[in-house]
Amino acid sequence: MIGRLKNLLNSFFGNTEKEDVSIGIYGPPNAGKSTLANEISKDLTGEEMSNISEVPHETRAVEKKEKVTIESEDGRSLDLNLLDMPGISTNVDFKDFTEHGMEEEDAKGRAKEATKGIVEAIKYLDDVDACLVIFDSTEDPYTQVNVTIIGNLEAKDIPILILANKTDLEDSDPSRVRDAFPQHPVLEISAKEGDNIDKLYEEIIERLS
Amino acid sequence: MMSSEEGVTIEFMSGEKLSGKDFEQKLDLVLEKVTENSVIVLDETWTPDEKRELIQQSMEQVDEDFPGVEFMGLDSGESRFDKVRNMFYEKILNETYRNGITIVGNSRVMEKIKEERDTVSFLAKLEDQAEE
Repeated sequence: MIGRLKNLLNSFFGNTEKEDVSIGIYGPPNAGKSTLANEISKDLTGEEMSNISEVPHETRAVEKKEKVTIESEDGRSLDLNLLDMPGISTNVDFKDFTEHGMEEEDAKGRAKEATKGIVEAIKYLDDVDACLVIFDSTEDPYTQVNVTIIGNLEAKDIPILILANKTDLEDSDPSRVRDAFPQHPVLEISAKEGDNIDKLYEEIIERLS
Repeated sequence: MMSSEEGVTIEFMSGEKLSGKDFEQKLDLVLEKVTENSVIVLDETWTPDEKRELIQQSMEQVDEDFPGVEFMGLDSGESRFDKVRNMFYEKILNETYRNGITIVGNSRVMEKIKEERDTVSFLAKLEDQAEE
């Protein structure tokens, strides 16, 4: 699979003149960004890159897997930077963390770190070369935060592939993702189960190259 | 706004009032009122870049008493006509097409947010509910 992925990503970014290509994984908290980042990172490097938790805002700083060198069979190579972004939201209430059993002081510290992470992720919108925007397909994705993320990427002509994640769950309804953002390609995946990850690489080529 | 009486203040700002302010002034005004628990209804839409600024600045102001904002909007749409019209305003008239509304409130007083392309709704919590 790794060889195939290398070829696909090289095709995806074949026209760019930059040596390093940064792919940002954006989405709301608990959409599955870090799970997907780990899945891709394992494919490319054999190593995971992010912690995963049921408690929101587990990723509170941009996690980077830099200089992942991809070589194609025809000799081209690409240094890829994979960026797992903190989940972007408009509010972070420490009380939400105490409801998950955290002590109040720990919860306040986590909230403070989370807000910094969100600001960092927002600033990175200016620096990424392409984006995977991932949504939990059991939830309604049409929110102003999600519209804002996608609107900013569109304004900068940054290639976007939308992922309807968690298709392994019974309540999954990817059609809501399609209906919310009909102007963009949507791929159904389960990052947790690894479902359709091969298709993800194909879609990157077909839709965004 | 809710210190002496129970309830949520919902404040409407006309397009005429807003048109005289630059975005930084509007954002400062909105955040000042929202931290006081008001819900602000603006008679204009905000661009994605302006909404991004709202998220960023509200995050920078989060503390134990202010958890951030919720915001909703009825925008001009994504049809080809909408895009051509928006481009006409931007390129020819050198201004942003702002027909629509934007609603911003303290996230402690806004819940059950429901957004569709042509309808938005939320439940405003009263003071005692918001402080639970």
